[in-house]
Amino acid sequence: MNEDVTSIFQIAAVGIIVAMIHTVLKQMGKEDYASWVTLIGFIVVLFMVIRKLDQLFQEIKTIFLFQ
Amino acid sequence: MLKWIGASLILLAGTAFGFLQASRYERRPKELRHLGNALLTLETEIVYGVSPLPEAMSRIASSVPKPVSLLFADASARMRETAAERTAADSWSEAIHAVWPRLSLADSEKASLLALAPTLGLTDRDDQAKHLRLAAAQLRTEEETAREEQRRYEKMWKSLGALSAALVVILMY
Repeated sequence: MNEDVTSIFQIAAVGIIVAMIHTVLKQMGKEDYASWVTLIGFIVVLFMVIRKLDQLFQEIKTIFLFQ
Repeated sequence: MLKWIGASLILLAGTAFGFLQASRYERRPKELRHLGNALLTLETEIVYGVSPLPEAMSRIASSVPKPVSLLFADASARMRETAAERTAADSWSEAIHAVWPRLSLADSEKASLLALAPTLGLTDRDDQAKHLRLAAAQLRTEEETAREEQRRYEKMWKSLGALSAALVVILMY
């Protein structure tokens, strides 16, 4: 339980920080870097979510299929 | 405990890196202005003061602030070394190469300063004055662009360093 909560907070914090970097870069007229930062942040968060989903599917498998 | 120490170290390093980059943008227009003033003073020394080049250089070195004054002090010291048998042009370009790592100026300024070397102390007063004024004008246009860059990028680097350090900490947490 505890670990799930921290991972959610981690993803939220990554989102906030990436958004701040995006606005800073965009204000200074570096739109291309800003979009790259957002894309990379998105991919990192995607990998975090995929790891969690993988854990979920393993759990389901162990419960329903291979008892 | 160890985690927190590492996180604060990363944060500190990222913020310091950001401030270092910002300080480079901060120093550049200042040094350009000092250098331009120093070149104009050198022109006055040559045209009206008619002082010998090493003397003029050391006088300028004592009148301009620190990082730029090193260049003139070094050139003056090299010109005074009689045993080395350098020309004024040699000592000027050698001084530029020696002091350059301590200045935060770009290569175009280096080129316009090095272009002074063949005229310095060799041609007549009017010609030297013209070349010095040309170099000073080039520095002034550079200063304008440097000021523009400072306004844009100084704040960006300051916040970007801390933010990216925070991102790294959160990713590794």
